[in-house]
Amino acid sequence: MPDLATAAPIVGAAFLASAVEVVEAFTIVLAVSVVRGPRPATLGTAAALALLALAVAVLGPLLAKVPIHGLQLTIGVLLTVFGLGWLRKAVLRAAGALPLHDEAAVFREQTSALQRQADAHDRAADWLAGVAAFKAVLLEGTEVVFIVLAVGARPGLLAPAALGAAAACAVVLAAGIAIRRPLSKIPENSLKFAVGALLTGFGVFWSAEGLGAPFPGGDWSILALVGLFLAAGAALASLARRRVARPA
Amino acid sequence: MGVLAALGAEIAKMFAADFRLSLTAVATIGLCAVGLRLHALPPADLPFLLAGGIVAALAVGVVRGAPRDRR
Repeated sequence: MPDLATAAPIVGAAFLASAVEVVEAFTIVLAVSVVRGPRPATLGTAAALALLALAVAVLGPLLAKVPIHGLQLTIGVLLTVFGLGWLRKAVLRAAGALPLHDEAAVFREQTSALQRQADAHDRAADWLAGVAAFKAVLLEGTEVVFIVLAVGARPGLLAPAALGAAAACAVVLAAGIAIRRPLSKIPENSLKFAVGALLTGFGVFWSAEGLGAPFPGGDWSILALVGLFLAAGAALASLARRRVARPA
Repeated sequence: MGVLAALGAEIAKMFAADFRLSLTAVATIGLCAVGLRLHALPPADLPFLLAGGIVAALAVGVVRGAPRDRR
């Protein structure tokens, strides 16, 4: 049974990262549901979720067979690279150097694309709409699967990571079903900023463990690393904002 | 086939959306590993050098992205 210092950041990272991805997938599933009804949206989503659950069920136990130091280093490098990408993009968006992700605009684009598709292929429209929902959930879910497997890649931690992801799915779906609109009020960039810092913190921690030179303080140092990357990200966002605001 | 191609593109995007940033991060971890193996870096200092190197990689990535994306 993992202790609180170990499990809390893992559940938190899996929850937040999954929430961001589920919000993006939900926008497309909602567009499918609005244009072609709930049946293709539900079938496409259920098929993709089944495939993703299968991936976790197969890959999770396989990872447990890999030697721990090699696994920690590999996962550490991948998480660092993945988390840094999220953090950099969130910093640039916070600074105004990149446009913010707009769920309402994505919903409008998806709805009109699905409508055009339905007009052109009337008989296969439900099938195509189901495939669109399947593809959206599968693609966004691939990142969730990676995050769950990566942050849960130590004995006993896959279940807390999967629990965090499942909780995010439940919360986002409940909110989406309740309001029946894209979840555009969610501060997506702030979430991505936090998730980028979390994943990078985990990545650096496990890279050091994998190299055989662990941080002092054990798992508590993950929290310090996450704090370091949050602070660095905030400082860099401020710096980048000044650069962007400066006349060319 | 379209779904598989999109899945491949998604996985590539996950790790190489900014290829130079990814390369810098991997090189930082690689240099730490080599330094440790050659006994050029004390194991007690390595975690802090690694964290500092990753922060520096992020800083370079952000500074590089800010003016480029402004235009």
